[in-house]
Amino acid sequence: MEEMILKLKQEIIEVLNLEDVKPEDIDNDAPLFGEGLGLDSIDALELIVLMEKNYGIKLQDPAKGKEIFKSIKVMADYIQKNRTR
Amino acid sequence: MVQGNKVKILSAKQISIQNPLSEEWMESPLEYSGSYVPAIDPEFRQFISAGDARRMGKLLKRALATSLSALKDGGIENPDAIITGTGFGSVENTELFLDAMVREGEQMLKPTQFMQSTHNTASSLIGIHTHSHGYNSTYTQKGMSFDCALYDAWLQFSLGKIKTALVGSHDEMTPVFAGFMRKADHVKAGEICSEAAVSVLMGTGQETPAYCTMDGMVILNRPDEDELARAVLSLTDGNAPSAIMTGVSGNAENDSWYSFLGRLLPEIPLLRYKHLFGVNFSSSALGFYTVACCLKKRLIPACLTKDGNTINPSGGILLVNIVEDRHYSLSLLKPILCGGL
Amino acid sequence: MAQGRSVLITGCGIICAIGNSKDEVLSSLMSNRTGIGPLKYLRTTHTEFPVGEVKMSDNDMEQAMGIEIGTPVTRTALMGMIAMHEALGEAGLGREDLKKCSFVNGTTVGGMDKSEQFYTDFIDNDTRNEYIKTHDCGSCSEMIADRFGRFRYITTISTACSSAANAVELGADMIRSGEADIVVAGGSECITKFHLNGFNSLMILDRGQCRPFDAERAGLNLGEGAAYLVLESAESAARRGVKPVALLSGYGNACDAFHQTASSPDGEGAYLAMSKALADAGLKPEDIDYINAHGTGTPNNDVSESQAMKRLFGNAMPPVSSTKSLTGHTTSASGSVEAVICILALRHGFVPVNYAWANPMDDGIVPNMELNPQRKLHHILCNSFGFGGNDSSVILTATD
Repeated sequence: MEEMILKLKQEIIEVLNLEDVKPEDIDNDAPLFGEGLGLDSIDALELIVLMEKNYGIKLQDPAKGKEIFKSIKVMADYIQKNRTR
Repeated sequence: MVQGNKVKILSAKQISIQNPLSEEWMESPLEYSGSYVPAIDPEFRQFISAGDARRMGKLLKRALATSLSALKDGGIENPDAIITGTGFGSVENTELFLDAMVREGEQMLKPTQFMQSTHNTASSLIGIHTHSHGYNSTYTQKGMSFDCALYDAWLQFSLGKIKTALVGSHDEMTPVFAGFMRKADHVKAGEICSEAAVSVLMGTGQETPAYCTMDGMVILNRPDEDELARAVLSLTDGNAPSAIMTGVSGNAENDSWYSFLGRLLPEIPLLRYKHLFGVNFSSSALGFYTVACCLKKRLIPACLTKDGNTINPSGGILLVNIVEDRHYSLSLLKPILCGGL
Repeated sequence: MAQGRSVLITGCGIICAIGNSKDEVLSSLMSNRTGIGPLKYLRTTHTEFPVGEVKMSDNDMEQAMGIEIGTPVTRTALMGMIAMHEALGEAGLGREDLKKCSFVNGTTVGGMDKSEQFYTDFIDNDTRNEYIKTHDCGSCSEMIADRFGRFRYITTISTACSSAANAVELGADMIRSGEADIVVAGGSECITKFHLNGFNSLMILDRGQCRPFDAERAGLNLGEGAAYLVLESAESAARRGVKPVALLSGYGNACDAFHQTASSPDGEGAYLAMSKALADAGLKPEDIDYINAHGTGTPNNDVSESQAMKRLFGNAMPPVSSTKSLTGHTTSASGSVEAVICILALRHGFVPVNYAWANPMDDGIVPNMELNPQRKLHHILCNSFGFGGNDSSVILTATD
């Protein structure tokens, strides 16, 4: 799980072009949206694409993204349970 | 043509193949050869946070940096109008999205690339960044894009709808699109395909110091010689300008028209700028910028003149842009009279 | 109130999913016939999305416009030609007259329909290069204009979904300022894989029929089309002996300055655009007899636009409807497509119905579902809101 979380952080940094952010800067339990990393609705869409591309998880309803992307830990758990790749 | 107060150029900033956000090109221009030369970028961090910049391609960063720089210099925070031009738009993001779609299929495409590829993204970005709710528009008429944006601003001023306007034009290139520019004959043999971002702040208030005034503008599609002559005369009103800034680049079709201008306004020195800045759809904005800089400095530097001598532009400069031997734009810019207006 | 000369509309033309001419569009509007259905012309893997395609193939349109086979031309330009042809015809403008006319065209995808088709040919095979010249927006405008004659000024506006509305506004400014006597203004846009996929990546497309202002709306249906208004000064119309079909009495443009793809929750940009248009026309909210809303059917727009309308109209809310559930969202052309629909409404005395609406939103407007107007239609407000928060509103006024 630790390895997966690190990989996920690196993927997020790359896909969202968070140049100044390193994996160790992202707290596993901190909110990704609003405060914390301060991501927005477009980032949520990019993360939906990331989940499909890298983990084979297809999300039809963008509103579901709010719960899944609550934090790195929540997102990693969801991916672990639902990945097809 | 214009009622009311004169339109003044308050500031003008560029990012191009010359040193960015600077007028060093006037004394020591950089020289280039080759077929495609990308622009020199400034350190964007001084204008844009990393968080904001992460989504922006080159065009958007340059548009924002030149805009913020022009606004700061001109002392305006929220212009009444933000009007931009772009010939091809955000080519980087267009190419990424298009390439992925065509080669990898229509799945899992990136929304950011699509969103940033829309042509009016730059104009909106400036509006969002400066919290400006005023008039906002974007023109996409190839090498006339800046001229069309300028013309719109001119109309808004003449109708008394605005007191300030930020007018810009921005075009970026990628190696693939630089190839397209040549295949479509937008950049010809002997010309350098380049990039440009230019932002000009204009106003009709009492803001000083201003670079110069804009006294008139005419744009025509396929004019005959009579219409062109009338357009020139309506602008100059019988007073010969000190020089004519042309987009001469060695293209035989255009050059014959420029020599027509030479017959119409004989003995007026012809100037050029494309040998310094290259060719792209926003080139004419650089033409406007160079004229504004000359009038601000009250000197046309040797690097712009045919014979390598400097010229005093006290009579103003007529700026001419000709695109594909069909679209003509003429603007007359004049120096600020000593003692202010 | 605005300064400058009044702006008459002496002709208009349209082509969209519900008709290839004004007569056909009128017939569809009066019988509530939607043009949205399964994809037929665009070749894409995304056949799950209903769209509002123009019911003509490129070949059909080339034949209609007498374009020689093999001439590089784009679908956007072809639709533009058909709409322009109808507009010039109604206004009685022949080839020679165009020297006095300007053309302001709104398009954002331009020739992308061909570029996406031939992209790999350009790059991998160095073939089909004649279509590189047709890619950009400005070239599309030139193709449309050049088919009919020599306009004295041609320009192109690309502000996404407000392009055509902004084109009409620029044309009107040119007339008011005395810079022009006649301006053909509007927009054209065909559906492309590029923006179908783009909108899909933003997850704002409905997999079913779109339902503007419905509590259960799930997104928009893309449409395509073209429409132009012939804007003319009163002096020019009098000289030519032509009567206006409607008046353009006011307009306004504002920037929402909130986000590139979402509108602000309180609809500030929309509110400002509508307010400016009213002030420009010298009208009060209660003078408006019908609002043709932007009403895309996305969760975001319909909330934002409802808020803006409520803020401005309060208890004086006129009938409101979106015609996008009939035509689809014609993106850059929507401002003029819907302006022509408004002109038809003024001239034939009906109020377009908000097709497919069933469930009221919690805090949204309740749209018009009744063709017969409650009162005579004098002034209609038409909204077009584009990506980047580019918001435009125009007011069409009856001639009587």
